[in-house]
Amino acid sequence: MYDVIIIGRGPAGISAALYTARANLKTLVIGQRESALKRASKIENYYGFSQPISGEYLLSEGEKQVLRLGIEMVSGEVVSIEKQSYYEVTASQNVYTGKTVLMATGQAYSKIKLQNLERFEGNGVSYCSTCDGFFYRGLTVGVLGYKDYAVHEAMELEAFTKNITIYTNGMELQLTDKFAEEAYRFKINTRPILKLEGSEALQSIHFKDGTSEELDGLFVAYETASTSDFARKLGIMTRDNSIIVDENQTTNLEGLFAAGDCTGGFKQISTAVGQGAMAGKKIIEYVRGLKKSDKED
Amino acid sequence: MSIKIYSTPTCGYCTMAKKYFDSKNISYDDVDVSTDRNAAAEMVSKSGQRGVPVIDINGSIIVGFDKDKIDSLI
Repeated sequence: MYDVIIIGRGPAGISAALYTARANLKTLVIGQRESALKRASKIENYYGFSQPISGEYLLSEGEKQVLRLGIEMVSGEVVSIEKQSYYEVTASQNVYTGKTVLMATGQAYSKIKLQNLERFEGNGVSYCSTCDGFFYRGLTVGVLGYKDYAVHEAMELEAFTKNITIYTNGMELQLTDKFAEEAYRFKINTRPILKLEGSEALQSIHFKDGTSEELDGLFVAYETASTSDFARKLGIMTRDNSIIVDENQTTNLEGLFAAGDCTGGFKQISTAVGQGAMAGKKIIEYVRGLKKSDKED
Repeated sequence: MSIKIYSTPTCGYCTMAKKYFDSKNISYDDVDVSTDRNAAAEMVSKSGQRGVPVIDINGSIIVGFDKDKIDSLI
């Protein structure tokens, strides 16, 4: 059991980890190597560097700082967060349990563009298998995606139907070993998608090669799970796809904090670092409060 | 006031919607559409879509947990 699981290895997540680890909290950082910051070639407005630095350099130095403190860091995609009495975080390689979670997931991914996707939202197109999956009991459903998250969503849907196809929209599957072992039991369709069709509700999916398949439901799990996906399933309050936090970086869910670009606002490295530090401080107070109440019980 | 919340046990926003009414001491009928197929059909017919939660306040339908809309109807 971790005291805190930090999702995101960018400035907000690493900044928080520096505080929680130094306060002796058992800290885990999970994150992917790809990030918007990594693509920044020249940063000139961050304190303490007289010459421009690259995002990649800053990220790599941040990681070294974390590793020097002995903080556990895992590379991988987080596909699900569930709240039981504690938080259960499912990542590419493992399932982790934490007393608290810090969402430092960066900027939300842009939504996939597909003809008629929005038209059928709520009428065949869904972004939440655990919320809406039951409506498709025994029906033909698809999952749109090509990474671990898509396989995870297909696995969730197995509770309702066995007729599940993963549509990759022309992409090759990019799966870690754990999810590659699960993917074999689903049909995989890699053809590029042209459009969705139906009358009031979704009825079919059409491909650029002129073929089509009947479909009752399509669950969108493209790329990796975004902040909005986690918010939908957990019930985190959002505004314009950003997590709503107060001045202490707390969300509406107890024990769940958020910092950095995923909270919207002024999306800068300096603000992410500041928010991460504040989140770290508040997580320390929260976990110490839990330990104190455990002793009193 | 007649309030019905169509929900599922695994939907985060359903839980939030119910907590919101609880916090205001407003009673409601909670219908689990994952187990009650008739209620699920009723929800689709009322809201024209299949996403939860759906909140029926005196016949006015709200899709999702929209606090402002709820406030304007209670």
